[in-house]
Amino acid sequence: MRALCWHDVNDLRVNDVPEPEIVNPRDVVLRVTKTTACGSDLHFIDGYLPTMREGDVIGHEFMGEVAEVGSSVSSFERGDRVVVPSFIGCGNCGYCADDLWSLCDNTNPNPELQEPILGDVTAGIYGYTHAFGGYAGSHAEFVRVPHADENCFHVPDELDDEQALFASDAWATGYMGADFCDIEDGDTVAVWGCGGVGLMAQQSAKLMGAERVIAIDRFPERLRLARTEAGAETVDYTDVDSVVDELDARTGGRGPDACIDAVGMEAHGTGVAHAYDRLKQRLKLHTDRGEALRQAIVACRKGGTLSILGVYGLMDKFPLGIVMNKGLTVRTAQQHGQRYVPRLLEHAAEGEMDPSYLATHELSLEDAPRGYELFKHKKDGCVRPVFTP
Amino acid sequence: MTQSGTVEHRSAKTGSTAIDRPFWTRLASIVAGGALLAIGLRKRSLGGAIAAGVGALLCYRGLAARDRRGATLESEPLESEPDGDRRPDARFSGAAPAVERSITIDRSPEELFERWRDPDTVTRVLGPVVDVTADDPGVWTWRIVGPFDRQWTWKTEVVESEPGTFIGWESHDDAAIPSWGTVRFRSEPTDRGTVVTLDLNFDPAGGALGDAALNRVGIVPATLVTKALRRFKALVETGEIPTLERNPSARGYGDLV
Ligand SMILES: [Zn+2]
Ligand SMILES: [Zn+2]
Repeated sequence: MRALCWHDVNDLRVNDVPEPEIVNPRDVVLRVTKTTACGSDLHFIDGYLPTMREGDVIGHEFMGEVAEVGSSVSSFERGDRVVVPSFIGCGNCGYCADDLWSLCDNTNPNPELQEPILGDVTAGIYGYTHAFGGYAGSHAEFVRVPHADENCFHVPDELDDEQALFASDAWATGYMGADFCDIEDGDTVAVWGCGGVGLMAQQSAKLMGAERVIAIDRFPERLRLARTEAGAETVDYTDVDSVVDELDARTGGRGPDACIDAVGMEAHGTGVAHAYDRLKQRLKLHTDRGEALRQAIVACRKGGTLSILGVYGLMDKFPLGIVMNKGLTVRTAQQHGQRYVPRLLEHAAEGEMDPSYLATHELSLEDAPRGYELFKHKKDGCVRPVFTP
Repeated sequence: MTQSGTVEHRSAKTGSTAIDRPFWTRLASIVAGGALLAIGLRKRSLGGAIAAGVGALLCYRGLAARDRRGATLESEPLESEPDGDRRPDARFSGAAPAVERSITIDRSPEELFERWRDPDTVTRVLGPVVDVTADDPGVWTWRIVGPFDRQWTWKTEVVESEPGTFIGWESHDDAAIPSWGTVRFRSEPTDRGTVVTLDLNFDPAGGALGDAALNRVGIVPATLVTKALRRFKALVETGEIPTLERNPSARGYGDLV
């Protein structure tokens, strides 16, 4: 089959690779119908995240049609149209039982690559380094999905592919970030970042009852989407002297009730020591990244919530004293997609929220390297390229 | 690094075509150990970890024997050492590469005890490289298939056990890879399941040098123990072990490529 493979830093190619098969009884194999790039992919594409191997199939945000079914799968059969969260849960461990799916104990085949750094082991993920499991990714004609009963979700017939696809990751992550804020009527929520995850967080915060959502970014077309699609007010941070002062002025001197950091979403889950120096280098080159999180900490009102979706894995200069003195609540996680996907599909079916505008570029799988170029450099207003294998 | 290369090397060194068994054993230990290491380190699977771990052990046995004799590979065979009193002493000396790790599993101690006594379970937990079969109750044959279809087998015997509490085993004296270990089961009072503690000890010959040899190649038995416990947990909690078997990539199928 054809698949998009990582060969080296900034070297993606579409290759012929073997087709996946059922290996364990709870597996299904999906024929991938839509799969999209995620900002977090850029870290290993750019060479900042180790434990990629030449030839790895990448991609972790996808939907498809069930093609083969393992002997212990009970809820799915051939032909079912499903969407799949990017982190793999087992449904049987204590973490899955507590709805903390990205912390699943039983789905990472490479614990020895991760535990020495994180001090523990996270769930496995598709197409996203060997430390995070080494599973083949979704930018391919077929993909194997372990523990299918837990990880596949039926897509209602009335939904388009693009309405369901983003429930796999961007929407679930953004929605979780808003959920972390325990939004009450009248609240103001500030969101740093207007990429896929940031836009989803803004829209979800509105849906959860936020009175005002303030979006912070610098790309005009993304700020426009924040206004038109997510109903947010916007701040172009290149236009103001101080984002903190601007937010203070807009919130009667109090600061936002909750601040969501969706800038570093590209970082998904670094946490590997080898990456430290290079990551540090990168943070120096792109100081606005660490800066966004620091701004959020300073801007947030006393006793407010800081919801971190971007990852500054091994970042130093984290102003913990401010967090402590202002009594902020910090909440963060990799997405617990399985907790949210049914709710998201319901929102879409009820017409309450529609993420399909994120799909700015529809491409074939053969064009995926070009899609990543557009995406990485935010050319042509690209928010998310969607590939059809 | 082929088997015939090994034979040639042996002939050259000893100047004889006769089988110099102890010498061969040690050389094979180093050579095959190196081969296993090279393969193991490239792999990311448990098979890889086991191959690397076993390779490191074989390497270190060869190196340790050479070092203690302060001489060449032609020195006195490892097998002829008076080791009757060596093992019990070293067992408590702390010099051997010994590892103890724990994991919490959402099952009763009794169930986990029974699962661990099943050689099929242990074979699955240790992955594709190690195969365990039961000869008699409590007596297991361990088999490792290395590169070029080389095999190592050795026997272990359960020396102590208490249902639902612990199992202790020891290898027989002539074991290719002398080892002993215990697995203990302790119920958590907070309803979080059972704490399973695995303690593995390998041949202490060489003491600190052994550790150094293992460290030098970047492999510690902790990897094996940690991974085995994680796989055991996944198997009993979900009925399967997370795997990259037949995982597609541009390298081909599976994790071994
Ligand atoms: Zn992602
Ligand atoms: Zn789980």
